[in-house]
Amino acid sequence: MDAIFDDFSQAQKQCDGNLLSQTLSPALSNEELRAIWRTCNAYDVKSVVKRGLQTSEIGKKGAIPKEELQCWTELYAAYWKSAGELLASSQASWTKVYEDWKEVLSILIRGYMSCGFESWTIPCLFVTGKYLREFAIKADAERGSSLDNAAEPNFQDDFDPEAQKNHCLEDCARQLNRVFNLCLSDRAPLESSRKWGIYHVANLLFKTYFKLNSASLSKNILKALSAGRGDMPPLEAFPKSQQVTFKYYEGVLRFLEEDYVQAEKFLTEAWSMCHNNALKNKELILTYLVPCHLLTTHTLPSKKLLEPYPRLQKLFLPLSQHIRKGELHQFDIALQENEDELVKRRIYLTLERGRDIALRNLLRKVFVAGGFEPPKTEGDKPVRRTRVPVAEFAAAISLGSQETLDNDEVECLLANMIYKNLMKGYIARERGIVVLSKSGAFPGTGV
Amino acid sequence: MVPSWPPVPPPPGTQAAAGFASPYQTTAFTPVQVRQSFGQPYPAPQPAYPVHAYGSPSHVTQSPQTNHSPSVTPASPAPSAEPARKKTVWPESVRNYVQRSFLPANLDDTVSRQEMEAKLKETITAANDGGYMYTINWEAMPLPQQMIKAERARSHTVQPPPAIPTADPSFSSPPAATSKKRKSSDLTDTDLAAGAWRNNGNRLEDRVTFTADKRLTANESPKTMSKFQKQQQKNMEKRQKRFHGDYTTHREPSPPPSDGPVVGTCQTLEKRYLRLTAPPVPSQVRPESVLRQTLELLKQKWRKEQNYSYICDQFKSMRQDLTVQNIRNEFTVEVYEIHARIALEKGDLGEYNQCQTQLKALYQRGIKGKPLEFKAYRILYFIHTANRSALNDALADLTTAEKAERPIKHALDVRSALALGNYHRFFRLYNDTPNMGAYLMDMFVGRERLAALCNLCKAYKPDVPLRFITEELYFESDADAAQFILDHDGQHLLEDRNGTVVFLTGKAGQHFEGPRAAAFARVDIKGQI
Repeated sequence: MDAIFDDFSQAQKQCDGNLLSQTLSPALSNEELRAIWRTCNAYDVKSVVKRGLQTSEIGKKGAIPKEELQCWTELYAAYWKSAGELLASSQASWTKVYEDWKEVLSILIRGYMSCGFESWTIPCLFVTGKYLREFAIKADAERGSSLDNAAEPNFQDDFDPEAQKNHCLEDCARQLNRVFNLCLSDRAPLESSRKWGIYHVANLLFKTYFKLNSASLSKNILKALSAGRGDMPPLEAFPKSQQVTFKYYEGVLRFLEEDYVQAEKFLTEAWSMCHNNALKNKELILTYLVPCHLLTTHTLPSKKLLEPYPRLQKLFLPLSQHIRKGELHQFDIALQENEDELVKRRIYLTLERGRDIALRNLLRKVFVAGGFEPPKTEGDKPVRRTRVPVAEFAAAISLGSQETLDNDEVECLLANMIYKNLMKGYIARERGIVVLSKSGAFPGTGV
Repeated sequence: MVPSWPPVPPPPGTQAAAGFASPYQTTAFTPVQVRQSFGQPYPAPQPAYPVHAYGSPSHVTQSPQTNHSPSVTPASPAPSAEPARKKTVWPESVRNYVQRSFLPANLDDTVSRQEMEAKLKETITAANDGGYMYTINWEAMPLPQQMIKAERARSHTVQPPPAIPTADPSFSSPPAATSKKRKSSDLTDTDLAAGAWRNNGNRLEDRVTFTADKRLTANESPKTMSKFQKQQQKNMEKRQKRFHGDYTTHREPSPPPSDGPVVGTCQTLEKRYLRLTAPPVPSQVRPESVLRQTLELLKQKWRKEQNYSYICDQFKSMRQDLTVQNIRNEFTVEVYEIHARIALEKGDLGEYNQCQTQLKALYQRGIKGKPLEFKAYRILYFIHTANRSALNDALADLTTAEKAERPIKHALDVRSALALGNYHRFFRLYNDTPNMGAYLMDMFVGRERLAALCNLCKAYKPDVPLRFITEELYFESDADAAQFILDHDGQHLLEDRNGTVVFLTGKAGQHFEGPRAAAFARVDIKGQI
């Protein structure tokens, strides 16, 4: 505990928010926690803390207003209580840890709201918020195994199946939202505004919403941010780590809304700013950036790009290869093999659309294999054969799968290619042929 | 003994039903009466607290003025063996309860006297030890024989009482009828069991008159003391207790109703749905055994009358009763499944979604039902709402084995056909939809037709026979196909050429793009999941 008071004093003197936030970190070894826990007991904890803070270097100077010091006292007292709960957490419950830690966060919020905590101390909010989320997840996991809500009275018409599962994490999201608004609504001049904490908290909230499987709630955050954008420091002025995370989430959210152009823009920004050694983060970014690229520009990732990421190689390389070669059937198989993994990452439905590109490549092969028309007069530039029987395409499509499609279905696939501008031409149904454009039958592919 | 008792024993089969709450059972369908019963103060815990959170003290203080019923006090003290042996002085309400249990009218052949005595002892001791002897509503307490039977029914160790028709297993069996779309009622009609009741009309009659009988008896029971009056009486007793000073001793242990789910005692089959705003009253909640009979009744009524607003209302009240009693078993699943099917057939997506949400959770708990059928509906529904992230979740929820099962495979094929723009396959799948999925597919088949038309118009030149459109987009007839085109102002695109109508795709241009975009923009909001 004395070490905490020393650090507190030191941090207050130098206005060092990070050092201060470390005094509130619960990520300590059991010995350290026990040391803290043993300094006092439930009866004298407040006086011990108060004395500790008052007799510390900064306290002696009287540099901290009485009211603020009182709030810090309560904060550390609550922290001490959590430390005890954490020590007991192997036998007791994470729910209690969560509840106690929530109290720490509440006191902290109160400190900002009414006790004049200065804005340089906001890293304390980050640390407490971060661990609140972790404790909530642990509490939910623990309860999930031993839960039956049979005892709770229920006046509703139906059960609420979700209510129990993520009980703590949902509450945590609400707490973090309070912190978000605490930062957002600060009217102090920018130099000393809590607004500098906004993106950090926003990222924490995104993370929580994604975990809760309600990513769409993130939109509220984005809305609040863009509404307040006028009197906020620009995103570029924030630490890069926060920028990258924020852009990543913004990109993924667009991705989930199927706005692949915007998604690609944000993800590319995140990609280019991401720290070179942050492999895990880069992998995450690529997971969504690669499908974006496939849909927007029809380009595939190179082996070299995916080299450092064996997992992504497994997901993307076979698919890419089959798309490139126009191997429809193998594409289907590869997609199916990785289905669970792809669904989990929410990219299955997007990658599935890569089949269009695979089909385009296959049809293009048929067209190229058709060769050239005999020139009408000597010396004319050779013209490709642009009238291709539907049957030829049909044969190509059923090549890998051994399953024959009837001509109507083949025509349907061709119609799709034409409709999506992947192929230029038209189907003359009566004659059973496809008439392709003489100039650029497959736009963007050189033929 | 008790003057308020029906002099004639009710007909066999209605055993415990008639006694209490009778004034409220008359007809479950007059809203006034339901409201009446709601106005009655929640009997159990509130008056027990000296400090009240909500306005119940007014009830307590009112009671002396409004209690006009001298007949409430039973004439003689209970001679009944069990509690009398004890030294404790039992309150009037408990003695009444014991008396009531042994009334010949309430006796049940399947429950022996020993069992009843044991149960009584257990109940009363628990009440005494728990300190809620004076606070509990003994009027509403289920009789020991009822409790025993409820326990039996719940544990399924003993066959359900004879009055309960066994759940119709036919709901899953494939339809014999070859109609393209099944109705929720078809599901029961087509198999042997259903056939049996059809041939044997007696059974149905029996059941119907049976329920009518029962209500009649309830009506006839004397009304010398209304439930409300009893309540007032009880309140007064409590009030007197409080003045005697020993009242606070009953405060400490939390009163039983909030300790766990209610155990219903209501024996009426039908009940109107009313949203709960206070803890449920056991006398107005039907136990599972009654609900099972209700379900049978509702199935028949649905087949016969097809009155959706009635059926929906009844199913909602059943769901409420199940929920407040915390009943989550295969029967619960069956109730939700049937309601979901009926709502689906009637296009009530709000109720349908509520049921689906419940079913998902119930299946996840490992309770048996028809998860394949309903998971397939989920997928089709998400296709309809174009909710890709929910679709992704639904996919994540499937096991490899499930993906191979017909209903789910069908839904997945529909999904992938649409994702790849393969309208040809999509319309073939539409024609071959298992269960009641066609009701869901109907919701988006129109817009997919428009999308396919857009495709065709861009890809085919100069024209195609109308018959081709009819076949590709699965219209019932050429006339239907033509009508669809006309409906979207496409009259100039149809041409009669030597007796065959052709569709001038080459001339259509962007004609169907507008309607297509409009059709895809409209997605239902009601109770969306």
